[in-house]
Amino acid sequence: MNVPMQQSDATVPTDELATESAQRPPRGLPFWANPRLGLLAVIVVLVLVFSSLRSSFLNTDLTLVPMQQDLSVFLVVGLAQLAVLSLGHMNLAVPRMAAISAFAMGWCYQHLSVPLWLGLVAGLIVGAAVGALAGWIISATGVNSFVVTLALDFALVGLVSLLYSHIGDGVAFAAHPAGMNTLRNDTFSDYCAGNVCGPPVPLIVPIALLAAVLVALLFRLSRVGREILMTGSNARAARLSGIPVSRRVVQAHALSGTLAALAGFLLAINSGAFSADIGNSFLLPSFLGPVLGGTLLSGGAVSVLGTIFGAALTEVIRTGLNLLNFSVQDLNIYIGLVLLVALSLDRVRHVLAERRGSRA
Amino acid sequence: MTSTIDPTSSDARRIGSGNALRLREFVRSTDFTLIVLAAAGFVVLASTTGGNLFTGQTLKAVFQYLAVPILVGLAQMAVLAVGQMNLSVGVVTGFTAMVAAWLMVRVGLPAPVAVLAAVLLGGAIGLANGLLVVLTRINGFIVTLATMTVIDGLRYGVNGTGTFQNYSSGLVKLGQGSLVDVPNVFILAVLVALAVAVFFRRAVLGRQLLASGGNPLAARLSGISNDRAIVMAHVLSGLLAGVAGIVDVALSGSVNASIGDDLLLPSFAAPIIGGVALTGGVVAVLGTCLAAFIVRLIDVAQAQYSIDKSWVDLIVGAVVLGAVLVTQVRIGKKGART
Repeated sequence: MNVPMQQSDATVPTDELATESAQRPPRGLPFWANPRLGLLAVIVVLVLVFSSLRSSFLNTDLTLVPMQQDLSVFLVVGLAQLAVLSLGHMNLAVPRMAAISAFAMGWCYQHLSVPLWLGLVAGLIVGAAVGALAGWIISATGVNSFVVTLALDFALVGLVSLLYSHIGDGVAFAAHPAGMNTLRNDTFSDYCAGNVCGPPVPLIVPIALLAAVLVALLFRLSRVGREILMTGSNARAARLSGIPVSRRVVQAHALSGTLAALAGFLLAINSGAFSADIGNSFLLPSFLGPVLGGTLLSGGAVSVLGTIFGAALTEVIRTGLNLLNFSVQDLNIYIGLVLLVALSLDRVRHVLAERRGSRA
Repeated sequence: MTSTIDPTSSDARRIGSGNALRLREFVRSTDFTLIVLAAAGFVVLASTTGGNLFTGQTLKAVFQYLAVPILVGLAQMAVLAVGQMNLSVGVVTGFTAMVAAWLMVRVGLPAPVAVLAAVLLGGAIGLANGLLVVLTRINGFIVTLATMTVIDGLRYGVNGTGTFQNYSSGLVKLGQGSLVDVPNVFILAVLVALAVAVFFRRAVLGRQLLASGGNPLAARLSGISNDRAIVMAHVLSGLLAGVAGIVDVALSGSVNASIGDDLLLPSFAAPIIGGVALTGGVVAVLGTCLAAFIVRLIDVAQAQYSIDKSWVDLIVGAVVLGAVLVTQVRIGKKGART
């Protein structure tokens, strides 16, 4: 049900192949057909190139720490999209789910003076609720997820800016709950036990990694996660085998909303304020991470590790080109080209691997 | 053939039905609902603003700025017909507008040449989109997401954030002028819409696109190349986006690279409200135009009542959601009846 796009028949065999290979090491395929390996290689090459061109690329404070902070945000954004790609759905409202959750968090901090964690929980609940609403509309009406989330995004754009201008404080909340600045500025190297200090890793990185691990475990081990994937690969078969399909759809979308809310929180921490423009830049990165990482739009298979690599690749390119004084617009050109080249190579790799597989 | 293309929307196309039946079919169609909605909206708006809407200048502006939404809606509809999407519609509009202005201001080409070049550029981008989809077998959504990002960069590459103005005064005069009180650009949009309608209804290629979108397997078995259909749909989409870019150039008298930023969502809103299915095989030219008009009315209402601009997004989002729900309910009922 609801595969968002018609794919021409010729792609179907490859997709089935990929579905299998994304879940476990492919049996018939050579090791280089694994997209994650290729990604890792590209990342290593790019890091070498950039650091030889600009030595400041390996500077801890100037480059590495901000890079990890951005990467944490984009990883969680990618996971938010991945949560519904598992169903073969899309969530175009990821940016605005993040925005409205960030509003909820900022409002709680400003007017209720709640501690940092409690505000985060409130925001996550708002995100989950909006996500569940999207999932409910999709499963209740059977309308394509693309349309529903596009319209929802449209509606939320308006709602968020109305909320900020009417019951918010203009465009941003001034509140800084205790711990926000620590979370923003500190790295583990600021905490020492005797002479041993931690690595220069920002404090928000573990939050993003924890989210990634939880999502990976959910889809690999939990019953709900497996059933979501089965719904994604064949909704009819899933229904016939007794899986409550519409509940799984709602749950996957709620998960997406929750992760979008977390991404909004992390971005607010990074930028230092809960403001109306949170989430504006999320749409493209949300697809870049999972898609580069080998997650298909057709559903039924996800790759969390691939999403981490995909997000890392984008971040390396972004930072590297920034250091080489490329403008934001040029950056867009290159990131778009990388996406096209990466996906085309992936296709070539599949065709080659298939050919070799059929010969063997 | 018609049944493979689309069994559900048989508006007045069923053979051998009487006039009464045809009328009933029409009353039930999406187009009719939209006509009623558009007329009601227009009347309500006109009466609550004290006839302000009927003064020459306001009425003219309503239709002048309807041209671009209609064109980008049609551009999206062309790819939806084969079950594809084109996320690059908005940025292509901006890019072609910038290139047209650049050709006139910097290169010094005469306006007709620049206009033609810009439209062809749109078609070329569409060709690239289509070829990428067909050759790489990557999902069209992802391909156009990537090309959207690339073209977004190129759009700013033409002149940075700078503005082009004082280009061909003839073109601007033509763009802002009107023929017997009907704005020229609106006439252009309507003519283009008619051409697109004829293309999908009468031309062999147009029928092939619809057949391919409705059922690729059946289309292939009847000797239609699905790949060619996908490429042609993208080319058509690019051409229409190019025309929208030209309209922007002619209408505004000055262009900068931010043109097209706010066109992506409207480009989907118009065909979806107009009754085009995302799965392909269906087009609704009249519906798309009417939906663009309704969205335009919301914009006008915002300006007339000086409401917060954010309400427009909220309402358009709600209308799109409502439209898909209504369509779904109607299809469900139809399915239950037959």
